[in-house]
Amino acid sequence: MRWRPAAGTLVLVALLAAAAAGLARSAAGPGQDDPVRSVTADLRCPACQGESVADSRSPMAAAMRQAVADQVAQGRSRDEVRRWFVQRYGPDVLADPPARGVELLLWAVPALTLLAVGYAARRTLRPRPRRTADRAAAPPAVGPAPGGAARWAWRWSALGLITVVVSVAVAARGLDRPGPDPTPADPVTVAVGLARDLEAQDRYDAAAQMYREALRDRPDDTIRLRLAFALLRAGDAAGAGQAAQEVLSHTPDSPDGLLVLGLAQRRTRPAEAPRTLRRFLTIAPEHPAAPEITRLLTSHP
Amino acid sequence: MLGELGTSSLTVGLLCATLTALLWLRVALFGTPTRPARLATAATLTTAAVACGVLEAALLRHDFSVRYVAENGGRQVPLYYTVTSLWSALDGSLLLWLLVLGGYAVLLAGRRYPARLQAYAMVVVSAVTVFFFALSCFAANPFRAVDPVPADGPGPNPLLQQHPAMGVHPPLLYAGYIGLVVPFAFALAAPLAGREGRGWLRVARPWTLVAWAALTAGIGLGAWWSYAVLGWGGYWAWDPVENASLLPWLTTTAFLHTALGPGARRAGWNLVLACASFVLVLLGTFLTRSGAVASVHAFTDSPLGPMLLGFVLLAVVASTILTGWRPPEPAGRTASPVLLSRSTAVLVNGVLLVTIAAVVLIGTIFPLLSGPLGGVRTSVGPDYYHRTAVPLAIVVLLAMGVTPALRGHDRTRALRRLAVPGAVALATVAVVGLLSRPGLPALTAFGTAAFVLTGLAGELPDRFRRSGRGRLAGLVAHAGIALVAVGVAGSSAYGRDAERTVRTGETLRVADVSIRLVGVDRRGDSGGMTVRARLRLSESGEAERTVTPVLRYHPARDTVVTLPAIDTGLLRDTYVTLIAVSPDDGSATLRLAVNPLVGLLWAGGALTAAGGLGSAIATARPRRVGTPRDRARPASGAVRAGAAG
Repeated sequence: MRWRPAAGTLVLVALLAAAAAGLARSAAGPGQDDPVRSVTADLRCPACQGESVADSRSPMAAAMRQAVADQVAQGRSRDEVRRWFVQRYGPDVLADPPARGVELLLWAVPALTLLAVGYAARRTLRPRPRRTADRAAAPPAVGPAPGGAARWAWRWSALGLITVVVSVAVAARGLDRPGPDPTPADPVTVAVGLARDLEAQDRYDAAAQMYREALRDRPDDTIRLRLAFALLRAGDAAGAGQAAQEVLSHTPDSPDGLLVLGLAQRRTRPAEAPRTLRRFLTIAPEHPAAPEITRLLTSHP
Repeated sequence: MLGELGTSSLTVGLLCATLTALLWLRVALFGTPTRPARLATAATLTTAAVACGVLEAALLRHDFSVRYVAENGGRQVPLYYTVTSLWSALDGSLLLWLLVLGGYAVLLAGRRYPARLQAYAMVVVSAVTVFFFALSCFAANPFRAVDPVPADGPGPNPLLQQHPAMGVHPPLLYAGYIGLVVPFAFALAAPLAGREGRGWLRVARPWTLVAWAALTAGIGLGAWWSYAVLGWGGYWAWDPVENASLLPWLTTTAFLHTALGPGARRAGWNLVLACASFVLVLLGTFLTRSGAVASVHAFTDSPLGPMLLGFVLLAVVASTILTGWRPPEPAGRTASPVLLSRSTAVLVNGVLLVTIAAVVLIGTIFPLLSGPLGGVRTSVGPDYYHRTAVPLAIVVLLAMGVTPALRGHDRTRALRRLAVPGAVALATVAVVGLLSRPGLPALTAFGTAAFVLTGLAGELPDRFRRSGRGRLAGLVAHAGIALVAVGVAGSSAYGRDAERTVRTGETLRVADVSIRLVGVDRRGDSGGMTVRARLRLSESGEAERTVTPVLRYHPARDTVVTLPAIDTGLLRDTYVTLIAVSPDDGSATLRLAVNPLVGLLWAGGALTAAGGLGSAIATARPRRVGTPRDRARPASGAVRAGAAG
């Protein structure tokens, strides 16, 4: 039966070689790495709690995914895209920021645990004949506690139990429901920032969507004006006019509100546009857009 | 009226629980009769049941004068979710917690164990009950009156109204969590009970197995719920709440193994692991209920944080003092252990499981530490766990496959037993790696799982011959874990997805699956606004089907919930989510994912839980006296009298 070990070895070598080939091919293969996902998985979705941009379903996360995809398509590296986001929205936007020093904890604690528990395991496995003999010879552990000690134990335990209850009762008085956690990355700020970036890329539809998102959380006229501008540029004159009207209902003399309204009316209600624009010129003659509007009014009165 | 009844039931419960603890302490210290203590235990359970019943009645009758109902009830909520809203927020779920705790206490009090061991264990359980009753009474009383009484409530969090698993998942998880109080109680009672405490491991084991099985099922159901409701296409996000359930699971798994066979010698290990498991339960409750860490799952934010943290510290101090005070039992045999033996392998597995627990723990509490230590207060992404916990888990799996083969002292036989599984594993790696290139971690997981499964199949005839259903159950649980590993590796390696905005008539395609948008339906009703996307799904080789993912807006809580359409197949799921719809034209943003092998996750989880339960049943039954196996076990005789009850 000499051939059996030899055949066994042969099979083993063949299997090892095949498995090594499989591992090598699998490791060297194209892999599943989707560059967009690998970046978005490390970005925190500002609109939701504890979810990454890759996993969140919020519209803001969708817009951020799009922003990442655009940059990756332009050939930027993972680190460049991350830097771009950090520059704009602060380090809080990273779900896994390089918190140097403290980050060491993430590796040191498991490593120390492994060492400590491993050491304990080694000690457990080492035979300890002497100590065991001692213990076996030692008198058996105590029976029922003697009377006096038991009474003391009873009193102290009862006291301890009452202390627990009283401390909960006392602590409960001083407690209020916590207010909302101050979120590090303010969703509104991020949404507005994202919208500006979208505007810079001439994607006014998407920008308007982000402004709406921001408005839902913070009904602020500055944001509403930006929304109106974005809508105007996106070609939605009616929507822009409506947003401007809302601003004007709060501050009737808002120059920007009048400007957008006037421009929107040129498409929706051309008859009223000149009046609104003239009012704009009266209120804000120094406005950067004033010369342009003056030219408009003189060429098409 | 109901509110006052509820508050008084909680107050009476607090008194009963305190009385129970003191009566059991009297039994332990002075050896008095146990009847009054048992009666008080039953009374405590009754008050918890009354409190739960009253709150449930208030929910069903829409009695909005009760604070909890005003905050979590609603007239529009379907009956089923009205019933389950008892545990949809902190204050109500605390009542469920008390009910389960009371149930465990009554069961534990009803069994016959060595008297002092049982009495001290009951003291521990009752003390925990006192604390939670005190919390419920003073800090989180759901029955406080509301003035003025609102006409309607917002209903529970919309995410908790989407899936029938809501009725099963939290109670199961609670049964698992709270069940771990029993091994904790025995571990603390053992040193106190002196000689009578020696058999605590054997006594605690069935309880731990039941709790572990419930916890396993709870975690599995939670993953399924997350997959079927949250709509992001995954099942595990390393979210703090998920981690909180995983932590005690890991240490309990280690405990169950170190407590096996000759493990009685590792008394220190068992004590520490049993205590750690329950402390981790408390810590997890603190982390997820105090708003300390941000999480998708943090459905409730409460002011209980400091009190829970105080109790965690108290538990740590108590268990350190008691377990360090006196060795609970003298060490057994001292024969030099073989390095390549089963008991070594089990210990190595324990070390690895504890290390994984440390990884998960530090990753979860990192946001709490990084701020004060000068970093940015931030959570740890899944990437960290993939780099740390996943490789460790693969080694655990490998050790799980090696361990059964190491029985006996004959190393050549052990190696021979490992030959076939090893060959199958290598062949799997070769074939899968060459054909499909799943990437290194997944490929390693496949190979290891093949190794484990083949090894288990080889064990099967042997275990049948040696009877012992408990052993067979262990086999089933291990097979379940291996299947879960295959499911996780497969779904992460071969999963594909795409996300795009499509107009009506356009198609989104992933691999050989495509969906065509037929139309978008909107329907508004009193409970909110529902948008459905009608899609035609076509897969190669199958007939076209219609799927309708849903987007639901709940005005009461101003949230949008996505309900994915999941088409479950034998080998893969197609998973369609409606992310957004455009208000004017008929376009919709869709996400299509093809998730292979996810079915194995649910099947594996169910097998694991079933294995745990089977093992619990087998261990709880009295052993036949005098079988050779029993005689071979040292120090089991003293225990049997207690365990047989």
